[in-house]
Amino acid sequence: MNEKTNLRHTGHISQTVIYLGKLFRMFIFQNDWKVLPMSAVIAGLVSFAVGRNLFRTMEGTLTGTFALSCVCIWNGFFNSIQSVCRERAIIKREHRSGLHISSYVAAHLIYQSILCAGQAVITITVCSVLGVAMPSKPLVTPWPLVDLAVTLFLITFCADMLAILVSSVAHSTTTAMTVMPFLLIVQLVFCGTVFPLPEGVSWTSNLTISRPGLTALCAQGDYNDLPMVSIWNSAVKMENVEINGIKPVQQALIYIQENNLQEDFMKKTAEKNQKPEYAFDPEIVKSSWFMLILWAFIYICGAVISLELIDRDKR
Amino acid sequence: MDYSIVITIVRYVLGTIGYWMILKKCGDKPYWAAVPVAREYHIGKCAHMEEEARTFTILTLATYVCQIIMAFLPDGSLRENLVSILLIAIGLASAVYMIRIFLGLCRVFGRRKLWVVLFVLLEEPAALIWGLSKKFVPNRQIEDFSKAEGAKLAGVDAKPLDKGLTINIQDRTVVDFFKKKYLLRDIHMNIPTGHMVLLLGGSGAGKTTFVNAVTGYEKARAEIRLNDQNVYEDYASMKYDVGFVPQQDLMRGNDTVARTLADAATLRLPSSVHSKERWERVKKVLEEFGLYAVRNSLVEKLSGGQRKRLSIAMEYISDPSLFILDEPDSGLDGVVARSLFEKLRKIADEGKIVIVITHTPDRVIDLFDDVIVLAKDNLRTGRLAWYGSVEESYGFFGKNSMEEILLSINQKEEGGEGRANEFVEKYADHIQEKAG
Repeated sequence: MNEKTNLRHTGHISQTVIYLGKLFRMFIFQNDWKVLPMSAVIAGLVSFAVGRNLFRTMEGTLTGTFALSCVCIWNGFFNSIQSVCRERAIIKREHRSGLHISSYVAAHLIYQSILCAGQAVITITVCSVLGVAMPSKPLVTPWPLVDLAVTLFLITFCADMLAILVSSVAHSTTTAMTVMPFLLIVQLVFCGTVFPLPEGVSWTSNLTISRPGLTALCAQGDYNDLPMVSIWNSAVKMENVEINGIKPVQQALIYIQENNLQEDFMKKTAEKNQKPEYAFDPEIVKSSWFMLILWAFIYICGAVISLELIDRDKR
Repeated sequence: MDYSIVITIVRYVLGTIGYWMILKKCGDKPYWAAVPVAREYHIGKCAHMEEEARTFTILTLATYVCQIIMAFLPDGSLRENLVSILLIAIGLASAVYMIRIFLGLCRVFGRRKLWVVLFVLLEEPAALIWGLSKKFVPNRQIEDFSKAEGAKLAGVDAKPLDKGLTINIQDRTVVDFFKKKYLLRDIHMNIPTGHMVLLLGGSGAGKTTFVNAVTGYEKARAEIRLNDQNVYEDYASMKYDVGFVPQQDLMRGNDTVARTLADAATLRLPSSVHSKERWERVKKVLEEFGLYAVRNSLVEKLSGGQRKRLSIAMEYISDPSLFILDEPDSGLDGVVARSLFEKLRKIADEGKIVIVITHTPDRVIDLFDDVIVLAKDNLRTGRLAWYGSVEESYGFFGKNSMEEILLSINQKEEGGEGRANEFVEKYADHIQEKAG
């Protein structure tokens, strides 16, 4: 037997280290580093637009956490949507020379998790600097900001892994970039909270990243304990409505204000609009985190399977 | 009475008559015009757009499936709405493919593209006109290989060598849209170590398929032995002993030359090789390939020749016994290409087997020992038209250069002499004679 061919070659761990090195060099020498300042800019824009009432009122929390989820999904998608498909031909060559696809994907997973963690920290920092209220009560860990960071990290990471899957399946960057907005729209529209879905298809929201992400964020912000302002605001708009010569809404508003019941009114209206799925309960946050990890795992497996078939690419 | 059903039936019958005649004119079996779904594929074939025809067929099938599903769903239900959205998307895609195929038909029948408008708006009358009118004649016929026989087989296996590469390929087939297709057939040879071999063949002759079959990357019905090992059976370990350099320089441009080579070494060399030893090997190869001076440069900053040398060095780093290069001289000028081939000659002289695909062989033919000539026979199967020394090949083909040999085996529509079958059979006789 030929001695040369009976030798052991580089294992999975060593290969992962090689590719991690490549990815970090890409981060420095290519434009991959730009995703970090970009995430700061996006967080800043979102804080400016929806940050005022985030974790202060029910409505502000719902739209704000939705926007935060979207920021994380956007960051995750942009981190890696082109990362695999842009070097597909190179991967094919290297696979032929002994590359383990699982090592290649593992390297991406580690590298992207570091990026996502960085982005979660950047997002929280920017929001705090711009005066956005942060959850003050701890839920899973003893530190509320850590809970928030973990949720933001997991949403970003899960979206990142979905983008890696798309990038592994797509044969070109053009295809991947065409699919990305479609996926983004699905994540936004099928979240099931901001845009309520018809009854028959409401289950589809469980397939999105935004749903568990938003649930965890709302639970951490103690959504059910926040006041609801929309009914009060609507009532104020209707105070001059006359019925049979009297202004009933105005009379009610005057009564509430004179007796300092405005806060109670908002609390009472909030009580009627509480959602059990957003309860301030560590189990809800944990199950949302579990869902995000599960989806990320499924996407990673999909990426590995898809890349294992890379040798079947047509010339 | 529901007139829509009657109209649909009349339209289908008219369309069948029209397409029946069109397929007949194109040399296809006309009865396919009457079979839904298959009709679309054969019209595409008639337009010489087989790839589009397949997609169009799949889309047509999907349309029928959606329509059947919709028939069973309650009107106005959510599911019906979802299927109808899908149907709209499929319909739009089908329309695009239909236009492509009709444009192809216009080309084949030498008609103006405006006919496509009539085909899209009034498909059946248009098909009737094209089918029944004698003025509409296609300028190309569909090639039917179902009854044709390929060139004669030699069927003589090469005896395994102790030192060298033994290739015995019975065939390499693929199933392409329910049809079995031979890509390679009856290729047998022995290549001794230390030989540098030119792999010659026109486009579609199966050069890359042959190389992939030999390296075990795409397995054929074959036995490939490198020295005393079976490449297919021991592929997991043998792949490190086979270096394949692709035509494109597939490397990451943002890595340095030394880093690229070092990573290639880690990937390809045995894990027992110590890091110091590995770096020494990297340094040695950098020097051998004239890349030491640019070792700290980014790959994207290298010249075409340097990049090509780095691509070769990445495979050479593991010191493979078999070295295959797909057009290593593409994009290089004559002087740079010559020096590259001289380097390959040196590698062969070290006791390796070097197989090179190139489209400009004559400028470096003096460096080669042997030549493999692959040719498409009348069934478009890649066949061996010659394997032997370069000198003998000139006599065998009666030509004075490799380019003339290539022209003689190329199809007439490719500007060649179309003598592939003749030489494949002549070589089969030659081999049978040698084998006694």
